[in-house]
Amino acid sequence: MGEAAVATKVVLDPSQPERWPELGFENLYAMSWRDCVEAQTQALRLRFESMSGSLPALDKLASKEGIRSIDSIEDALPLLFDHRVFKNYPLSLIETRNIPKLHAWLGRLTTHDLSAMDLTGLTTIEAWLDRLDDFGMLVTTSSGTTGKLSFVPRSQTEYPTWERVYLAMLHATTGVDPYSDPVETFAPSYRGGHQTALKVPMMFNTIAAGGSEHYHTLYQTHMSADLMSLAGRMQAAEDRGELDKLGLDPALITARQDMIALAKRRPRDLKDWFNKLFEDYRGKRVKISGLGSDMLKTALDGRSNGIKPEFGAGSFAFYGGGLKGFKHDLPDWEAYVREFFGIERLGTCYGMSEIMGITPRCAHGNYHFQPFTIPVLFDAEMNPLPREGTQTGRFGFFDLLAQTYWGGFISGDEVTMHWEEDCACGWKQPYVDPAISRYSDKAGGDDKITCAGTQKVYDDFLNFVSEG
Amino acid sequence: MSDIREIPIIARGRIIRPTDDDVAIFNGRGGAQFRSPDPHRHIHDMVLGNPVLLADLMDTPTSQIIEFLVEVGKRLRLDDNPWFQESFELCLQAGGLAEPILRSVYDRLPALFDGHHLTEQVENTIGSAYLDGWVARDGHDGRYRTRAIGTRQLHITAGNVPVVAAVTIIRGALSKSDILIKSPSNDPLTANAIARTMIELDAAHPVTKHVAVAYWKGGDEAMEREIVRTTRIDKITAWGGMSSVRHIQKFLQPGIDLIALNPKFSISMVGAETLESEAAMDEAATGIAVMAGLMNQTACVNTRMVYIECGDDDESLAKLEDLGRRVVAALKTLPSFFSTPAAAPNPELEAELEAVAMEDDFYTVLGNTVDGGVVISRFPDRVDFYDQLNNRVVNLIPVPDLLDVVKWCDDTTQNVGIYPESLRDRLIGPFALAGVQQFVPLSGGDPVKVYREFNSLPAGMPHDGIEPLRRSVRWVIDHRAPAEQAVNHLQVAAA
Repeated sequence: MGEAAVATKVVLDPSQPERWPELGFENLYAMSWRDCVEAQTQALRLRFESMSGSLPALDKLASKEGIRSIDSIEDALPLLFDHRVFKNYPLSLIETRNIPKLHAWLGRLTTHDLSAMDLTGLTTIEAWLDRLDDFGMLVTTSSGTTGKLSFVPRSQTEYPTWERVYLAMLHATTGVDPYSDPVETFAPSYRGGHQTALKVPMMFNTIAAGGSEHYHTLYQTHMSADLMSLAGRMQAAEDRGELDKLGLDPALITARQDMIALAKRRPRDLKDWFNKLFEDYRGKRVKISGLGSDMLKTALDGRSNGIKPEFGAGSFAFYGGGLKGFKHDLPDWEAYVREFFGIERLGTCYGMSEIMGITPRCAHGNYHFQPFTIPVLFDAEMNPLPREGTQTGRFGFFDLLAQTYWGGFISGDEVTMHWEEDCACGWKQPYVDPAISRYSDKAGGDDKITCAGTQKVYDDFLNFVSEG
Repeated sequence: MSDIREIPIIARGRIIRPTDDDVAIFNGRGGAQFRSPDPHRHIHDMVLGNPVLLADLMDTPTSQIIEFLVEVGKRLRLDDNPWFQESFELCLQAGGLAEPILRSVYDRLPALFDGHHLTEQVENTIGSAYLDGWVARDGHDGRYRTRAIGTRQLHITAGNVPVVAAVTIIRGALSKSDILIKSPSNDPLTANAIARTMIELDAAHPVTKHVAVAYWKGGDEAMEREIVRTTRIDKITAWGGMSSVRHIQKFLQPGIDLIALNPKFSISMVGAETLESEAAMDEAATGIAVMAGLMNQTACVNTRMVYIECGDDDESLAKLEDLGRRVVAALKTLPSFFSTPAAAPNPELEAELEAVAMEDDFYTVLGNTVDGGVVISRFPDRVDFYDQLNNRVVNLIPVPDLLDVVKWCDDTTQNVGIYPESLRDRLIGPFALAGVQQFVPLSGGDPVKVYREFNSLPAGMPHDGIEPLRRSVRWVIDHRAPAEQAVNHLQVAAA
């Protein structure tokens, strides 16, 4: 399949990095990153030039750092945004549903002119995000443990590239090309919502499954952004017996009750859903998609109940979000999951909401970047680490695929980056090994944007309300 | 291996040192390592299994206890007390407080042992008459008598300020109680040093014989299961809230009284008229700077949010910025014995400040995490990272009515600084109901004067909404038979 393809020599056009994914991941992984630096630097310079003057946050940072032009990647390092930039609005805007102010804030983060969008009648964050979608934006949200939502201001301009790189990532890590070989897909999640962890699968799993009717989810409802962001506030108000004084849409309060009921039911629903899947798709080729922890729980539970799925040959799985702290005493939980489900390939990826070039895991367990992402690493004092050998430090990146918002970010992750292109899988380009940790975990807090973070908040919220 | 410090267990007048076959190694803050006797082997040295053994302290008059504490206090000097010097060094290494501040904290410890101060503390709380004997209720023929009886207490102490160790030992002695102090890893030696000073002074004194100090790792279930039993402990004082209580909690049962001194934060309120005069702004700015800056904002008494009664129109916000600039300037004038610039920036807070500084519409940032600073909200709400405010950075928030702030106050709101004084009567009722525990003045204008006023509370005032001394004794009733019955009975017995 994919990995057998023979690489052809390709050329990177610095004026259109958004078209680099069209060259194919096999070809891009055949290139040494050292041969990409020039095109990357040129592309970065052009991105900066085209966005200067139209993104106030970038202009402010550039002027503070005294940067007018970019001639090298090093030049651009002071222009990496902290992830907080996508949530530096006051939380009270959400609490009071001050959509006009929130909308104006978002408008300063994108080159699109959002002032033309009609805000009439909007009373919820969810409705605002829906309308933004209709307007041509594709904003995704995520949140850390504080529950404060980050808004990543992506748009239809990025969509074609985003779709291509996401599906190429799936192809690269699972070995199955979603475009030419769609597979019936099952994900034990909500049907959708604006959170990265729901919106991205909804957009792309549908394609990989071969159409909406082939993409099956545990629940057919959406997860509301308002509920996510107001969970803490609503609980506090309820404790005081003042939930009615928050002035919330009654529908939201009902939705909250439904969500609490659903949370209590989920373990049972998950089990029933998988058991039905095992029966209905016996002997058929499927793809399981979702959280590693759900897969492991199902495997442990299924085995203790004597259940054995028998899917057709070539079935496979893809997970994100790791195990989220789910405790087990298995030496190799992935092997256990593969054996239970009877599948050979279990793909996964590393990335975060702010990056389109999510990295696929290779056959040797490492996460390789592609040239449209420029990875950089910093030491504890935020000095850049050399781009050579093996380095451990804070991960930052420039996402050259970002066309309508600034793509440079510093993450909260500590990673070990290998620059020598020595992975036994045969792919070149810099790669991160599986030892990834969060600085905030070390410091005893957590407020980083990831898909997993979203899921964590979602889980915390459900635990919070269902046990409270 | 020379870095390993020895921390003996102090067990009621005895010093138990680690030996080659009785040793446990612990890691402290700032890379320190400690060597202690294995605490698991010394449970009986730490707890008082038989409460009747408190009789010696019960029979010691309060005046003699105070005399002894006064003598201890005189010896708590950094100049010539080697144990004190060692604990000072370790506190410094743990890195919570800058050297000049820590030194002034240590210099002030003897004052806590001042005789008048201690007497006032007892008389304004339990009353020595109740500690030294049975006190009859007026007007009932002396038949109903009460006495404050000492208890067996476990203290899980906080280490951010070494005062906690001294206060704990004093409260234990004044309540005629037996205390076991579990030292914190960020101040493993202060309690130890005071106890060793007591042993040197008089190892057989009843106060000395009812102080035990040990270090074990918080959450060591084997230890805590052994110690936290109704047969061994009556009261637990836990500083530091959930993190220190969480593992102890599973051993709690009826019969053990938990006194939780939770982590707190403090705020201030500034009246509308303040922004109308330069002199008032300067005075308020100094008060805010002192309340934010003392102990370098490491304590619960430090203000982190400052609510100012004003609008959020451009004109009002310009005035608020003016006040903010004065606060930043005032921070720079604070004397180093209670406030200093930070040794290093706080990267997390710095990142938060930089992120909001990009948004002119919502926030204005002045200063930084080294010299101190302010972040001004341009609308009536605190910053979303209010619980990270540190390094002498405060959030100034305009509110149309200071009474609105009550919605952000609860049991975790310890102090409310007030300026000007004319606000006080309007605010204290609702805020006290909401959970606030103390209202303090910000006026004075001179940093040292404001600071002294902060530290002028008379002895024996409540602490975090409770009276710890009264709470730490057992109030026992001696209900006697009517006089004639007692006499009849004796006559029958004699017959």
